[in-house]
Amino acid sequence: MSRETARVLGARVAVLVGALLLWELIAAPLNPLLYVRPSALPPALANVLLARDVPALGEHVLVTVREIVVAFVLAVAVGLWLGFVLGLGRRLGRVYEPMLAAFYAIPSVIWYPSLMLFFGLGPASKIAFGFLLAFFPICLSVLSGIRQVNPHLVTVARSMGAGSWTVFRKVMLPSMLGTLVGGLRAALALSVVGVLVGEMLGARSGVGYLLNYTYGLLMTREYTALVVLVAAGVLALDGMAALVEARGRRWSG
Amino acid sequence: MTTQIQITGVSKRYHTASGPVLAVDGVSLAVRPREFLTLLGPSGCGKSTVLAMLAGLVTPDGGEIRIEGVPVSGPDPRKVALVFQDPGLFPWRTALDNVGFGLELRGVDAARRREIARGLLEPLGLRGFEAKYPRELSGGMRQRVAIARALALDTPIVLMDEPFGALDEQTRLLMGDWLVDVRRQTPKTVVFVTHSLHEAIALSDRIAVMTSRPGRIKELLEVALPFPRDLNAPAAVDLRAKLWEAIREEALRAMDGPA
Repeated sequence: MSRETARVLGARVAVLVGALLLWELIAAPLNPLLYVRPSALPPALANVLLARDVPALGEHVLVTVREIVVAFVLAVAVGLWLGFVLGLGRRLGRVYEPMLAAFYAIPSVIWYPSLMLFFGLGPASKIAFGFLLAFFPICLSVLSGIRQVNPHLVTVARSMGAGSWTVFRKVMLPSMLGTLVGGLRAALALSVVGVLVGEMLGARSGVGYLLNYTYGLLMTREYTALVVLVAAGVLALDGMAALVEARGRRWSG
Repeated sequence: MTTQIQITGVSKRYHTASGPVLAVDGVSLAVRPREFLTLLGPSGCGKSTVLAMLAGLVTPDGGEIRIEGVPVSGPDPRKVALVFQDPGLFPWRTALDNVGFGLELRGVDAARRREIARGLLEPLGLRGFEAKYPRELSGGMRQRVAIARALALDTPIVLMDEPFGALDEQTRLLMGDWLVDVRRQTPKTVVFVTHSLHEAIALSDRIAVMTSRPGRIKELLEVALPFPRDLNAPAAVDLRAKLWEAIREEALRAMDGPA
């Protein structure tokens, strides 16, 4: 590790510790039920992890992870497919792309009640919402990725005898890869948001349900502990996605 | 005398916002095996279009092109390799893998591709740069990699569309000298497009001067000067004056824009 990196990391830790200290100081004179102090978190974390007064974490995490995975995989499949269909069929793309962008601009959460009506209170409506949020960035990143392909490189490949499929595989895909992986990363984060929001708006299981449960019973320390756990999980996931993205970008140059 | 490329009465029309434009009009040329033929003309005279038609990338509206007796119907990477003004290297591939691209399309295995590519990059002064990506190379190096990529196909014919046009003058001169050397080692048929009198005189066996839009062949000149060429020799100076006379009027017309 270089000295510069060490300094940056040190500064980050200092900011975090400072923020926790400040929070502790500000919350000290206030109502501990409403303003949970950092020092109250370790015992609350223990309660959550050991399922004291709280439903066991494991099965809820499993439910949520499963919903996220299904929502993300569906969004990847449909988003890539539709993106390529619209992006490669120029006329089709001209007709539908503005509609897609407009649809994306509408805050998706307003559709959620409809999704619950269509799919019920179970995991299906959460998957549908995670899918809805994740689908757009994938589809739009395919469209913008196709536009980024340098037509000259396509001509070069054609002059060397490449047919459409070879051009697609050896010129278009590598040209788009950086954009595509960026879209996938955003989509992963959004599928997590979709599933959690869905669970918080009405569910009988999942991490979102647990958050609601602790909050509803005014177990604010446990609620805060859960928030910290979710944040840690999402950060870890995004960290992995960032590594994959960096690889993709390096590869496509 | 044998003919390798036979161009007969070829024309091409482009459709633009302000109506159709006749870019190439009734061009006929016979290119001999292993000769270096230059299409010389002002910008927009359709010389690049002629080259694109030779490469099978653009279909003529009229006339016919035959290469070794066979009508051109599309790119034929076994006979014809193409070098563009923009090197068009794949940014995600190293120099070595860029050179191997055409061979990869042919199904040549990776080890053999690398071997061929190394053998081409070394004499181009790119030894030690095999693993570099295009963004890490200078403009001249990139164009040399692009030329190596075309030579890797080992075709009897190489088409070059202003390959040194984007380079600075010093690099251009060096690349020209280098190209003369390459041709001495591996004699191929080259059809070369340029608007540079200097390049045309330094490199060509024959020069076809083209008219401004629509592009026609105005004059066909034999360059009987020995290599390496001294461009200050009286014969070269005479030729330059003759070419300039032929091309001046066309350049003036091109400058005034399309009629």
